[in-house]
Amino acid sequence: MVGVAQLVERWLVEPDVAGSSPVVHPNLNSHVGEVWVVDSMASTATVAQPDVDRREQLVADVPWVTIVWNDPVNLQSYVAYIFRTYFGFSRAEAERRMLLVHNEGRAVVASGAREQMERHVEAMHDFGLWATLTRSDS
Amino acid sequence: MIPFMADGGAVTCRFTTGESAVLADLAQQLIDLLSERAPDAAGSVLYAQLGIGGESSGPLDPALARLLPDAYRGDVEAASEHRQLTEQSLVERKMANARAVIASLDTAILERTEVRLEPTEVQSWLRTLTDLRLALAARLQIEDDGDNGIGDDEALMVYDWLGYLQGSLIEVIE
Repeated sequence: MVGVAQLVERWLVEPDVAGSSPVVHPNLNSHVGEVWVVDSMASTATVAQPDVDRREQLVADVPWVTIVWNDPVNLQSYVAYIFRTYFGFSRAEAERRMLLVHNEGRAVVASGAREQMERHVEAMHDFGLWATLTRSDS
Repeated sequence: MIPFMADGGAVTCRFTTGESAVLADLAQQLIDLLSERAPDAAGSVLYAQLGIGGESSGPLDPALARLLPDAYRGDVEAASEHRQLTEQSLVERKMANARAVIASLDTAILERTEVRLEPTEVQSWLRTLTDLRLALAARLQIEDDGDNGIGDDEALMVYDWLGYLQGSLIEVIE
């Protein structure tokens, strides 16, 4: 093949690949405790029992969140499509969160148990989106 | 190229022979690129099946690093552990998607028809087109919104064309 752009070619790189500095204090309060319906495999999040001691509950159940970060490559229509089809958001909500990613640099797209967030992050990497998970209080 | 069109539950797209060859070549390059992180040594196959034994640190190559990013920011240990458990299966899925794209193109050439994608193939195409654009963007140093890319015109043209192709595919499935 003549002239096709070479992806495989070795490139000398600096170890520091990251661009912008990480933002570790997203505003997550509005997402804590939400129930996220993801796909047929997903179960709903645990609902706090009213008779459980509140402080213990907070320590044990600090949820994790999945964050999608902005990148200059992915098409807005693709990101919205993923948010709608994978996370089950309405068209309007998927669009809103896509624009959050685009304009604010990131958006929280799910919250819940750590293992579940790890699955979401892996699914996002599968789609080619840049996603990470973190504790919602970090 | 004629953009993607809906055809019942499937979508179709007609490529020129040249376009088809370029896309197949790029998909093969993606496979070659990813193979560096794939479980190829005989001893690692079992581990790979168990989802363990993968690399503990991220790739230095910026294209691979973008295809296989850390799951945690600012927590090297957690990122490393997660990578060891998940990276190899992620690599294998990405390679399988690229192989599916090549297969779709081969079938179209063999049968002298347009490319026809069923829903599962559409998913492979969406992901592979994305992976190709991510890898090319890394090569072209497109790092922030508004970057036009640094590199030869052909690579930039291919990058734009892949974006057009993916946009057309999303439009027809949405």
